[in-house]
Amino acid sequence: MNKDGERQLTLYFGPQHVGMVGNFSITLTVEGDTIQKAVANPGFLHRGFEKLLENCTYTQGFPYVCRINVMDPDPCEQVYAMAIEELAGLEVPPRAQYLRTMVLEMSRLSSHLLWLWAYANELGFDTIGHWAMAQRDYFIDLFDMIAGARVYHIYIWPGGVRRDMPTGFAEKMQQTLGGLEDSLKDYDAVFFNNRVFRRRVDGVGVLSQEEAVRLGVTGGDLRATGVERDVRKEEPYAAYADMDFEVPTMDDGDSYARAMVVRKEMEQSISIIRQVLDKMPEGSAWHRPPNPFKWKIPTGETYVRMESARGELGVYAVSDGSDKIYRMAYRVPSYPHGILVLEKLLQGMNIADVGHMLLSLNIAAPEIDR
Amino acid sequence: MIEETIRQEIEQRYESCLVTVPREKRVIVTLPKDSLFSLIAFMKEQGFQHLSFITCVDWLEESEFELLYHLATYQDGIHAIVKTRIDRTNPTYLSIVPLFEHAQTYEREIHEMFGVEFVGNNRLTPFLLTNWQEIPPMRKDFDTKEYSERTFEHE
Repeated sequence: MNKDGERQLTLYFGPQHVGMVGNFSITLTVEGDTIQKAVANPGFLHRGFEKLLENCTYTQGFPYVCRINVMDPDPCEQVYAMAIEELAGLEVPPRAQYLRTMVLEMSRLSSHLLWLWAYANELGFDTIGHWAMAQRDYFIDLFDMIAGARVYHIYIWPGGVRRDMPTGFAEKMQQTLGGLEDSLKDYDAVFFNNRVFRRRVDGVGVLSQEEAVRLGVTGGDLRATGVERDVRKEEPYAAYADMDFEVPTMDDGDSYARAMVVRKEMEQSISIIRQVLDKMPEGSAWHRPPNPFKWKIPTGETYVRMESARGELGVYAVSDGSDKIYRMAYRVPSYPHGILVLEKLLQGMNIADVGHMLLSLNIAAPEIDR
Repeated sequence: MIEETIRQEIEQRYESCLVTVPREKRVIVTLPKDSLFSLIAFMKEQGFQHLSFITCVDWLEESEFELLYHLATYQDGIHAIVKTRIDRTNPTYLSIVPLFEHAQTYEREIHEMFGVEFVGNNRLTPFLLTNWQEIPPMRKDFDTKEYSERTFEHE
């Protein structure tokens, strides 16, 4: 009870809170351990990228866009490149489409592994957290090998990709995939099928299918409620039309269902990368675009979209015929998840579940802020 | 083609609007601002259950803001962009929160970044910015360089 005789207390959860992952904050109104009201406060990572892009030439935008999602940067480059290619009418060679598919799946895997690290840690399973983080590092090494950078790759480029696979890359990739496949069995045994984990997450943070549709939820969070919707199937981009893969769904819409969707997606990503390596066509990896310093793109508008690790990622772009974009707006999956859905789910929940809820919904704060 | 059917249906009902199909799975609908709300309600009934996002473009020379509502269907994955233009000097528009609950957040951002007032949205509170005293920053006449030089120390 506070000095005015009220039983409610305001609690600031984040950005400096041990339970908070990322630069995000929630203002909680609590009564005892129960949350009465939650208000999401984004903006700690707002860098005005959409405004900055208006001052950049088309290629200068790449170092900005990959930073829209720290954990999963390649999809942000991919939509940016797709938008430019569609406005400029630039062709992408088949080999580049395959290489793009490969790095996009690598990005999905490393994002999912980073998620597993944080999620497991938040629930007290530190060991699995360390395993996942170590496993992710092998993928980061692969990124280093193919793109020359570990976190922000800027590998996807208008007209294709920046360079072809180096020698020995495919072998190292197969080795890493095999290693992950073996580890997945361990993750299952120690984490996903663990009774302690099940008791902690079963029936927590349930999002019904009707609610998910009403609140504009996409990606794994939507698939965990039983809706089979994936942009990779709906409107195939890169080389996804040639790939044979499933879209995993769960029915319950709770924290466990969302975790299992991510778990099953990792298996699919491994299979997609293997197919890419098997079917990789010969040819050039890049169609040279015009001189980037004098590149003017015809007037027009477009909306392109794709499936990132978190859901539907899209770009609406308007060109006014100059060498800079007139307006570029990013549609990011964490946006509906991180504000209204989170606020709704947290209501009535225990304080101990706040940190794990943020991860269960797979919210990326940099995406919301841009 | 489903896109063509959608085009015809909308054009029949709303004579004042212009519908184009730029490519597969895309429909662009342009219409005057007074019929936008009813069109979005109509499209929602027709299967456009997913509001992907709302965005705004500042057309400084025409002195207009263009509001774009991105809707999608769950069945066929058709993505429709519904757009309308409003006056830039006194930008006020009707909120679509009664139709799509999560439009609240998008309208909140457009209110902060472009200064558009949405009537019927009761949560137009500061979103990403803190103690912002200038003109809305995503407007074309906001000079980022001038602002940065004035606000931060440069060596």
